[in-house]
Amino acid sequence: FRFKDSLAEELQSADLVISHAGAGSCLETLEQGKPLIVVINDKLMDNHQLELAKQLHRDGYVLYCNCSTLVETLQLMDLSALKPFPPGQPEKFALFLDKVFGLQ
Amino acid sequence: TGGHTTEILRLLSCLSESYSPRHYVLADSDKMSEAKIRSFEQKRAETFSESQFSLDRIPRSREVRQSWISSVVTTLYSILYSLPLTYKRNPDLILCNGPGTCVPVCLSAFLLGLLRIKRTIIVYVESICRVETLSLSGKILYYFSDYFIVQWPDLKKKYPKSVYLGRIV
Repeated sequence: FRFKDSLAEELQSADLVISHAGAGSCLETLEQGKPLIVVINDKLMDNHQLELAKQLHRDGYVLYCNCSTLVETLQLMDLSALKPFPPGQPEKFALFLDKVFGLQ
Repeated sequence: TGGHTTEILRLLSCLSESYSPRHYVLADSDKMSEAKIRSFEQKRAETFSESQFSLDRIPRSREVRQSWISSVVTTLYSILYSLPLTYKRNPDLILCNGPGTCVPVCLSAFLLGLLRIKRTIIVYVESICRVETLSLSGKILYYFSDYFIVQWPDLKKKYPKSVYLGRIV
């Protein structure tokens, strides 16, 4: 399973995803509309990866725990409380650039 | 590299064909981005027949956790390497989103601009992973870019000269 090109297939058939806090993993999962539990690596406390996971949790899109609390989280989780994740809007970026270059 | 490539391709997804030709610059050590880029451009060529792009590689300016002093040396080397490349490609716009690779390219364009050789607009989009703090590339290019885009409101507050458009990837 080491380095598959894409986890899209596996994601599609999953009911629940448990992942590390990598942005790619989190975002890909949320975009597929799958419930996500993010597990934080305690030993890399300074890791900026935490920023995104914390924010996604604050906004109510993911559940969040560390290795030692994972079992508890799985037992107590309420996945229906998770909010659906709205997609990013690259069209806003295109509009912005068009304005910069006077292409409107 | 990896996540950065995915993000930047998403940023490109809604751009019109005015943004052509596209010159991609990768680190020499990057193994996976080329395939993603070719796949993106191939799809694009299905819609826009005139799609033109190129791929260049430059020495990687800094490894993760490389020491400060050696980083300065390798980055200077990368800037020198980038100068002829930037001059040759002659871009109107440089778009980047944070890998170490982008710093020498942007700085070389900035230098060429200072020397009045070519005026390039530098647009930096900080990665979506950056919610509260900027990456090292971001901290540097905040001062050298023409437009610095952040994707979370906390960063807009901390860096008032930045542009906030919400999540764009």
